Amino acid sequence: MMNYEVIIGLETHIQLNTASKIFCSCKADSWEDAPNSNICPVCTGLPGVLPVLNKKVVEKAVFLAEAMRAEIQPTSYFDRKNYFYPDLPKGYQISQFDQPIAVGGFLDLPIPSSADPQGIGYLRRVRIHKLHIEEDAGKTKNDGEKRLVDFNRCGVPLVEMVTEPDLRSADEAAQYLIRLRQLLRWLGISAADMERGNLRCDANVSIRISGTSALNEKTEIKNVNSIDGVRDAIRVEVERQTREVKAGRAIKAWTLDWDKDAGVLRKMRSKETEADYRYFREPDLLPLRISSKWKSEILQDFPECPLERRSRFMSEYGLPEYDADILTLERGFSDYFEETAKQYAGPLKKVSNWMMNDVMRMVSENDLDPMEMHLTPKFLAELIALVDAGTINISTGKSLLDTIRQTGKSPTSLVESRGLAQVSDAGVIQKMCQQIVADHPDEVAAYQAGKTSLVGWFVGQVMRASKGKADASKAKEILQEILKQ
Amino acid sequence: MEICNLSALEIRDLITSKQVSAEEVLKAHLKRIDQVDGRPGKINGKAISLEDKKKVHAFITRTEKKAFSQAKAVDEKIANGEYPGILAGVPVTVKDIFCVKDTLSTAASRILANFKAPYTATPVARMENQGSVMLGKVNLDEFTYGSSNESSAYQPSPRNPWNTERVPGGSSGGSTASVAAGEAPISLGTDTAGSIRQPAAFCGVVGLKPTYGRVSRYGLIAFGSSLDCPGPIARNAQDAALMLQAIAGLDSRDATTANFPVPNYLAAIKKDIRGKRIGLSPDYFRIAFPDADSDTYDQQEVPPAIRDAVLQAAAVYQDLGAHIVEDVPMPNTRFGIPVYFVISRVEAASNLHRFDGVKYGYRTQEVNGELKTLYRRSRGKGFGLQPKLRILMGMYVSAAQYSEQYYRRALRVRTMIRRDFEHVFDPNGDYRLDALLTPTTPSTAFPMQDVYGNSVLMQYADQLTVPANHAGIPGISFPGGLDKDNMPIGVQLLGPDFREDTILQLTHAYEQATLRADWRSNRPQVMEELPHNDEL
Amino acid sequence: MKQPEISKDLFNHLVDLAALQLNQQESDYIFLQLNHQLSAIQELKAIDIDPDVPIALHGVPYPVKRSPALRPDKVESCEDSSAILSEAPQLEDGYIVVPDIPHTTLE
Repeated sequence: MMNYEVIIGLETHIQLNTASKIFCSCKADSWEDAPNSNICPVCTGLPGVLPVLNKKVVEKAVFLAEAMRAEIQPTSYFDRKNYFYPDLPKGYQISQFDQPIAVGGFLDLPIPSSADPQGIGYLRRVRIHKLHIEEDAGKTKNDGEKRLVDFNRCGVPLVEMVTEPDLRSADEAAQYLIRLRQLLRWLGISAADMERGNLRCDANVSIRISGTSALNEKTEIKNVNSIDGVRDAIRVEVERQTREVKAGRAIKAWTLDWDKDAGVLRKMRSKETEADYRYFREPDLLPLRISSKWKSEILQDFPECPLERRSRFMSEYGLPEYDADILTLERGFSDYFEETAKQYAGPLKKVSNWMMNDVMRMVSENDLDPMEMHLTPKFLAELIALVDAGTINISTGKSLLDTIRQTGKSPTSLVESRGLAQVSDAGVIQKMCQQIVADHPDEVAAYQAGKTSLVGWFVGQVMRASKGKADASKAKEILQEILKQ
Repeated sequence: MEICNLSALEIRDLITSKQVSAEEVLKAHLKRIDQVDGRPGKINGKAISLEDKKKVHAFITRTEKKAFSQAKAVDEKIANGEYPGILAGVPVTVKDIFCVKDTLSTAASRILANFKAPYTATPVARMENQGSVMLGKVNLDEFTYGSSNESSAYQPSPRNPWNTERVPGGSSGGSTASVAAGEAPISLGTDTAGSIRQPAAFCGVVGLKPTYGRVSRYGLIAFGSSLDCPGPIARNAQDAALMLQAIAGLDSRDATTANFPVPNYLAAIKKDIRGKRIGLSPDYFRIAFPDADSDTYDQQEVPPAIRDAVLQAAAVYQDLGAHIVEDVPMPNTRFGIPVYFVISRVEAASNLHRFDGVKYGYRTQEVNGELKTLYRRSRGKGFGLQPKLRILMGMYVSAAQYSEQYYRRALRVRTMIRRDFEHVFDPNGDYRLDALLTPTTPSTAFPMQDVYGNSVLMQYADQLTVPANHAGIPGISFPGGLDKDNMPIGVQLLGPDFREDTILQLTHAYEQATLRADWRSNRPQVMEELPHNDEL
Repeated sequence: MKQPEISKDLFNHLVDLAALQLNQQESDYIFLQLNHQLSAIQELKAIDIDPDVPIALHGVPYPVKRSPALRPDKVESCEDSSAILSEAPQLEDGYIVVPDIPHTTLE
């Protein structure tokens, strides 16, 4: 029985979230806008217009290149890619062909056990072939026998990033996109929402007999607008190719269109497979020069990337992988954790627990930007310390979170002003417990008859009587003592 | 006084000193146009008559309403003591390759016959800001592809005011003809292989190709993006300087404009030329003459009348105290046209991709539901022969398998052409020239229809002007005499990067030294025929 | 004229690629002229170019200080985008209309 290996390379187009388009001053984001309302002579390719490069586009591209450990070229060039299509007003796309802004690079992709057929989880190194800058085309849609053209999207800045064919499964491809999306949002360079076209992916798929090294003919899957879609489409194509090869038929280099509703792939009459793009240097633009001075200026604000931070949280902070994952999902939340960690003296697992549960819930329910909350990292650290010290019990602490967020007052001042300090005086608790026991003879009898789980109910009564301030574990101890008798 | 014979500077000064109004100046020029121009070019115009053959036909679109409102605005500003601009009230014609807002901007092509530009080209806008008055859009070779203006889809195409049986030159034929015939003192043209200088030579006017990047190309319907230069056409150096002053300089809408200060040209041109080093190169006195049948190239000497005009100019310069440096080698001059065939066609083919009938311009009505048909029929019907020829040549030499051999090779030979100039202009080199003095064209204006049809021969009309486009340096053509048929002879000066001031200065010096030359009292044929009591 | 460099087949292919349509007269004329022009540029092949002569995309050099700055990331909407649309041959609800491109489906 032949075993086949799947070879996948991904080509992603990333829309940068600059304010204006790449070669003109129209705004870059027009997802919600009426058709052809966000246009100007330049992006509609009127006669006589010229492109002028947006500086921020270069800066964001440099960020991505740095994150992917690619080599940023001190000089790169723009080229014209010539072909006819109604969404391409100039009849050519300004792109970069042979001397792009960055080459090489890699991403060490953690594949979780859920995506590993062996159930263990492993690391897949995905090498990057190159990154280049180009402009987006407009959009067309079908209307019976007509095609309707909207130029709003023409000129939106794109970075195209091409991987080497290093991915080995549909799941790995999905993981790559998940991590890429996370990285793009983390770096603040793209909204990376596949459904809105901020992140687009074409997959090149081929198969070969396991153990061989030659690459076979590949097909290109286009038009998938979700990560799940990519996974599904690749799976379907791999099945098809396997069937074909087993039947002795050769794979042809088709371009395939994914129909997500039907779950099938259709062969596209390629726009211009016969087309020769006749690339040549764009004469309306000067070479793109990135001096080392400019590069260091751009990278001054370059952050620690999510996967690096994830590793560091595990190695330096000793946090488990599960925690590290959640705490490096989103940058604001992650920075918040880091800040809190700096101000907290105790074991960071405690902070992690608070973050992953209560803080995360609060942030998502209220749709907050963690770094903007009144519940600052300093306050959170303070709050956790108060619980550690036994000044308040944990449930008081949790309920205080929202209060701090809304009032902006420090935990210490709130505990004081509202008299929330934990009741830990054994004598006081003893009195309370005795009272509860005396007031509930039926439950006492049940407990003594063997229903020891009722202790929880008794503790609950003590908590109610103390307005939540009693030290619950002390109360439990004392109750158990009393009830023994 | 005959207003239409005055210079732009004189007209402006008369207006700003309130001796005459901008409106009166406008009316005088409109009258001149009516007298000499005949009917404007039209698509599918009726056959050309004998009467037509005596007229200039410089225009495609006359913009009188706009002109009157501009003239009025100038007069109002002056009345209110506001600054009216350096071109206050000066009538101009604009080559119809420039987009002007709300005005038909056709590139002399059927494919843009109905196109009203929604924006104005930077050089035109700058002139407007300086108070100029636009008489209209003038004719050109279709998309600037040609050296005789005959390829225009708007017929009748312009005729040479000196002899209306002859071509005005091209592609800025309408510009130079309108200025030569006194229809406007200045005109905005473009020069890609000599399209300002060659017709300027043919029409006996001054035509300046600035350094590439000196004047913004925003709004110039592109032909050869790395070669196109907007520039002034005028009857003397001072007017060319005045117009250049208005249009030159960095433009945030054109990433290839140079971040280089614009000097005061009017001040610069009056300076003494004593000590200037002016070169003569044998490579510019030989011309290649292609033989269609054998595909060989005869090397010939430039015709004696033209050669003599240049040498006489050299003598004038010498008398004024300049040093004439002979035998300056410019060995790569002869590759100018072959290189141009390649580079310009690649750029042109790509620049013309956008004319696809989809979003502006001509779209065929017979579509039969297929997009490809829409493209082919619209472009097939919309483009004339010359654009089609250039597109196909461009497709060929940039195709993947030929690109290295043709396109990239041509770009390297371009470097060699550039280095010829760097070598002779090098202030620490062997020649240390301030300018090179050459003929502008290999012949004077040829008869209409004589050359059109032979694309190679037509292109070779540019062989002495095109090297400057490859190198990017500035060049100027100015009238240096008349031949025995009373046709103007152009003399060319080529200068170092951004030294328009030097070549304008030298032109001005020549003009001043030859003010009383006999040939300067001759007038173009169309003006001879003007009524004598023609007066303000 | 010696053997044409561009064959008729290649010529027709170029016409196709260029999305053009030529009548017989145009076709004959252009075919002839193209081959003439190619003879004119044969000279290029024969030139001895030093291997380290670089390409010149523009004749004038653009040293850093003479190059214009890149554009700042500021939005400036077009004053009159409706004027652009009014030049379109066929509009429908703000979209530009063209005939459809046939797709062939597979499997």
